[in-house]
Amino acid sequence: MGEMDLHIIVCLKVVPKPEEVSINPQTMTIDRARARSEINPSDMYALEMALSLKDEHGGEVSLLAMGPPFFEPYLRIAMAMGADAAFLLSDRAFAGADTLATSYVLARGIERLRPFHLVLCGEESSDGATGQVPPGIAEWLDIPQLTYVEHLEVLPHGRVRARRVIDGGYQVLTAPLPALASVKSGVNEPRFIDMDRWLWAMQEAPVTVWGLADLGLDPEMVGAKGSPTVVSRVQQVGARQRKRILITGTAEEEARTLWRFMRPLLEQRS
Amino acid sequence: MTKPLYRPEEAQGVWVYLEHVGKELTPVSRQLLGKARELAQKKGVHLTGVLLGHEISHLVEEAWAYGADVVLWADHPALRRYVTGPYARVVADAVLSYKPDVLLLGATANGRDLAGRLAVRLRTGLTADCVDLAWEEGSGHLVGWNTGFGGGIMAAILCPYHRPQMATVRPGVFPTPQPQPRRGEEVRLPVHLQEADLQVEVEEEALVPPAGIMSAQVLVVGGRGTGGQFDPLWELARLLGGEVGATRVAVDEGWIERERQIGQTGYVVRPKLAIVCGASGAFQFTVGLQDAETIVAINIDKEAPIFEQADYCVVDDLFQVVPALVRIIKEG
Amino acid sequence: MPGEPLQADQALLLDDELWEQVVRASDGMASLCYQCGVCTATCPWGLVLKEPLNVRRLIRRAQLGLEVGGDALWLCTTCGLCELSCPRQVAISQVMLSLRRVAWRRRQVPRGLSRVLWDIQFDGNPWGSPPSHRSAWARGLDVPQFSATDHQVLYYVGCTVAYDRRAQRVARALVSLFRAAAVPFGILGDDEPCCGHAARDLGQLEYARHLAQQGAEIFRRAGVRTLVATSPHCYDMFSRHYPPVSDSFRPLHYTSFLAQLVEEGRLCFRPLPWRVTFHDPCYLGRRHGVVGEPRRILRAIPQLELKEMAHTGPKTLCCGGGGGRMWLETEAHARLSHLRVEEAAATGAQVLVTACPHCIACLEDSVKLRGLPLRVMDVAEVAAAALAGGEMP
Repeated sequence: MGEMDLHIIVCLKVVPKPEEVSINPQTMTIDRARARSEINPSDMYALEMALSLKDEHGGEVSLLAMGPPFFEPYLRIAMAMGADAAFLLSDRAFAGADTLATSYVLARGIERLRPFHLVLCGEESSDGATGQVPPGIAEWLDIPQLTYVEHLEVLPHGRVRARRVIDGGYQVLTAPLPALASVKSGVNEPRFIDMDRWLWAMQEAPVTVWGLADLGLDPEMVGAKGSPTVVSRVQQVGARQRKRILITGTAEEEARTLWRFMRPLLEQRS
Repeated sequence: MTKPLYRPEEAQGVWVYLEHVGKELTPVSRQLLGKARELAQKKGVHLTGVLLGHEISHLVEEAWAYGADVVLWADHPALRRYVTGPYARVVADAVLSYKPDVLLLGATANGRDLAGRLAVRLRTGLTADCVDLAWEEGSGHLVGWNTGFGGGIMAAILCPYHRPQMATVRPGVFPTPQPQPRRGEEVRLPVHLQEADLQVEVEEEALVPPAGIMSAQVLVVGGRGTGGQFDPLWELARLLGGEVGATRVAVDEGWIERERQIGQTGYVVRPKLAIVCGASGAFQFTVGLQDAETIVAINIDKEAPIFEQADYCVVDDLFQVVPALVRIIKEG
Repeated sequence: MPGEPLQADQALLLDDELWEQVVRASDGMASLCYQCGVCTATCPWGLVLKEPLNVRRLIRRAQLGLEVGGDALWLCTTCGLCELSCPRQVAISQVMLSLRRVAWRRRQVPRGLSRVLWDIQFDGNPWGSPPSHRSAWARGLDVPQFSATDHQVLYYVGCTVAYDRRAQRVARALVSLFRAAAVPFGILGDDEPCCGHAARDLGQLEYARHLAQQGAEIFRRAGVRTLVATSPHCYDMFSRHYPPVSDSFRPLHYTSFLAQLVEEGRLCFRPLPWRVTFHDPCYLGRRHGVVGEPRRILRAIPQLELKEMAHTGPKTLCCGGGGGRMWLETEAHARLSHLRVEEAAATGAQVLVTACPHCIACLEDSVKLRGLPLRVMDVAEVAAAALAGGEMP
């Protein structure tokens, strides 16, 4: 890099294991209490990309997450992988946020971490799976966005080149920094915890918690209050079990039935 | 609550953002027009298609044919390829001029790229990856149904106070309507781009088929039961636009290259659809496939463990079923 | 490149730190090596590869501070055959694991291994299977959750046995044996922690130690005294690499426990007129000297005929599954288990009996590929079958 110390911010989320989540029918909310958690698998790829860029260019990787206090040990795990600092945006007021309110809070958190060069996010999260927060953050910050990135290169003079995976092909784009990129899942192998950093990460690594007041945010813009969308109904559709539907008949009949089931699935490919 | 940029009372009409590839509208755009037309007719409002690009006048007719009453289109060199900045600018300007009630987009890579940005610029709600859309009884609000937690949870989402009500829908959720030769209205949209919209440059864009089993959305996998005869599997894979994978045994026997091995010591894959032929389903193989969305298993042995891990089970000879499947698919 | 002769014009970059790290990670063992080469000669890889695994050279390169990369380092199954012959009793496997530890630090590990470690961290098992399915094998069997006041024994199932459908049969066989002998036992169910052996074998020494500390705490809080493990790898972890749990903590491999039950007359076997041979798992027969116990169980079965293979007891021939090899690929022509099943077939046995889930997987795989008329079974499965008696295996 030469000119600047690269500062990359990685947005992380901690999600419950999908197969362990259930619905509380009275409150119509997700019951995560008994579900084990993990760092959102998509975000691991973003984190690995950030750490690789840090290996190459030097600089720092900051973690940013919006969530309750139990996120902290997971942020520490990410710091054991190589990140330098973690910022947890945590406040009761942030709960119940849809993508507008979530991207707003995260963007305000990122503002407080200026100067930064890159914001990296996973392409989507295993709970909401909308993939809409990263572009939302970029809009709030008024910076260029590069989504579904499989390769990122930091160029001299404050620019970045990225290869995006689009339907049926790819695009290679360049953009000025600071910029935001969402990283396509599966494009790298997230490195395992560096055990030389373990003790530091668990005990000394800085985790800064900011609430509503610390960020100076309008309570009407965050959480459920700041969400234009509302959930009117939720239902459990059955645990992720294999259907085990037995198809019988002659080979011809079986093939026909198979095609009837398969056809709509194929049309769903993006 | 963020103030809406315009109120529900001021909003009118259903809009669909249309994507195109080659010289045609994409399948999801056509599917959305079909569903949106149904929604628009139920409310007695117009369906508008929004089209951006360069040298795309021929697409206006196609949009009418698939159901649009009005086509708003922008034709400009800066719009030749999808880039967030110019596209978001033109569409947001159009939305703020015409104030639609609903804006639907396909949940493709570019569709989601645009939708997420627009939703914040327009300070409105976005329901992503809907599996269904309908009008709510009484209020007339748009209800978007979507799933979460790997499909385990289904939620109905509303956006009562903000407009446009935005939603994205994946390809294949709605059927493709039959095109009818129709004539509707068309309006050329002005293109006023700012410096900030033009910061991202496209160096290269190409349409290439993705390579390898890791990126394949459809995998036809063969095991010991193929006895080395992979031809029917290759044919099926080609027809479905997918790739061929194999169990360790098939690779060990030299029937296929190790780059196609699925399993704990091979590749861990996550296709939308895996068709597993002649593989018993040993643990070290199935851990490589456990995240596939849908698994079809064809095996002559009814005790084969693979059946416990499959969504659709066919206890039969793969050399009868696979060719039959190929025939039926070719028939259309 | 490791293994290739150096060119005259290549400068060598010596890294003193590398050797220090290896010595430290091997508790000084690595310094004892004086390069005699007996290890290379005894390593079983020499039986199936064109070039033997040059253990001596790996250690030499490390001593000199030369980079130790490449596939060779990851071939070691930690079978320990070399250690039997080493004139200085160097814990060679430990040196290998130390070199692997350095490889992690340099981020030079084979593709796919990071995922295995993340699976242990977030799923509690190296297979990436859902934690909530860990006790699915026990469905319908009414196996109680372990309680120190009610149960004498904690049956520690293990990750592979819990999730691999083939290996689950061993757990169910053990349950019927415990019940037949009226042993009060329980399991930890979905809360059973991964023993950490896979992490250790793959070179993540500190992480494995961290898992061991967590596991020991779980056993301590649950008041576990006698622990019976299905896998010799888990048993090795608990008996050699766990911090002290309590004064009364006693880990056992299940064959030791069953042999004791047989001796006490608590298990009655009916005739099984089978011809069997026994494959000693490296981690049972060689590393822990548990050789007689599995045989005592088999010999207690009337009409069972036990014939020994050429390599038996401490001289057992590795199946190829240890040292993390279950997560790394071995070319079909180079599989150690092929040799073993041929040896088993040569005894005229109908059943190849063993006592380790990795051995079962490797041996069954070779039997299938070689098309041999052999069944592979665990001692527990044979003993459970003997509770009922029967004709053909």
